[in-house]
Amino acid sequence: MNIYIKSCSQISVQEPLCNKWFTKPIKYECPYVRALDPDYKHFINPIAARRMGLILKRAMATSLTAMKDSGIVMPDAIITATGLGCIENTEKFLSVLCEEGENCLQPTFFINSTHNTIGSYIAVNIKCYGYNNTHVHRGISFESALLDAFIKIKLGKIENALVGAHDEMTPSFFTLLDRVGFWKGGFAGETAVSMMLTKCGDIKIVGVEILYMPERQKIVDVVNKICSENDIAIDDIDLLVTGRNNNDENNMVYDDFENIFNMKDKSESYKNIFGESFTSSAYGVCYAYESLKRGISPLGKKVSKVLLYNHCENKEHSLILLTC
Amino acid sequence: MENLIKELKEEIIKTLNLEEIKPEDIDENAPLFGDGLGLDSIDALELIVLMEKNYGIKLQDPNQGKEIFKSIVTMADYVHKNRTK
Repeated sequence: MNIYIKSCSQISVQEPLCNKWFTKPIKYECPYVRALDPDYKHFINPIAARRMGLILKRAMATSLTAMKDSGIVMPDAIITATGLGCIENTEKFLSVLCEEGENCLQPTFFINSTHNTIGSYIAVNIKCYGYNNTHVHRGISFESALLDAFIKIKLGKIENALVGAHDEMTPSFFTLLDRVGFWKGGFAGETAVSMMLTKCGDIKIVGVEILYMPERQKIVDVVNKICSENDIAIDDIDLLVTGRNNNDENNMVYDDFENIFNMKDKSESYKNIFGESFTSSAYGVCYAYESLKRGISPLGKKVSKVLLYNHCENKEHSLILLTC
Repeated sequence: MENLIKELKEEIIKTLNLEEIKPEDIDENAPLFGDGLGLDSIDALELIVLMEKNYGIKLQDPNQGKEIFKSIVTMADYVHKNRTK
């Protein structure tokens, strides 16, 4: 059984809920930018929105857009990925706790501070009683959610799934991560991506693989395995999308990969457009999805088969192969 | 009392994040829950925290809440009589 991405919607540092980034990306020179928000009144009733932090509003807007674009009014499953969860509400809750003690804590920030608040809010709002799961696994949170949906559809447990990747980056959390050297030249952003996975469509997910601290040969073997199992020659892959940024230590891993498979000329990156967060690899899928739909990449390569390769601190690695 | 009513309206808007509503939009005699302002049980918890934090009032009996939070006027009256700060 084949699995496809039927629709994909994003809110990011680029213009929200559209694909203008593909031809005219907004360029940033600063190390940290917050996402550009659309008018949420078009998606959420103001009475309901008053309790929702930005991460929830973004998740609702991208989810409803992905559902509308796919023509699926009720997904069988809602599978969410997040690295940090509702960090803004968590900060508010903890700040009050530190400043005023435990006696007068506001319930709303606490209720909306857990990681699975995002998936729950979407389900409550669209009245979806199906499978609902949240994956929180640092740099492979999104790939884990994608794999979850991929396996569930493949096994025939569900027909479709709304897969989302959501992370927000608050100024204080950016400062803390910066202080411990986490970004190392990267450009910090936020993630809000929703996509509908179905059994029919145009953009096919051929394979999803997650590896933990793999040796070089293991990565080679896995790429060969995905390609051979699907009758695809490695040379036929026309676009490699990587999580390359401005950090040499991070890029060495991609250099090595490109050299092994002779893909230097086929390589493009999404992080210079969308920024970086624990779930930013979802933008890599957006990048590949839109390139496959148009048959051409943002940098002008003709595209029919795309391999995405990402790693987080050279520990968690992931490979996703998409074709049209 | 008028100042307290105005203060309560502003605090409720701020605490409950009622972005679309201005103090003058709230009828101080209208019900806070259900038909009037349309608040719900989570808002009730927020109001209990607000009473304690701003006015030093601890509500011991949950049944009292129904009467106290009937409207802005009943709330102001209770605050006026029981505040410790």
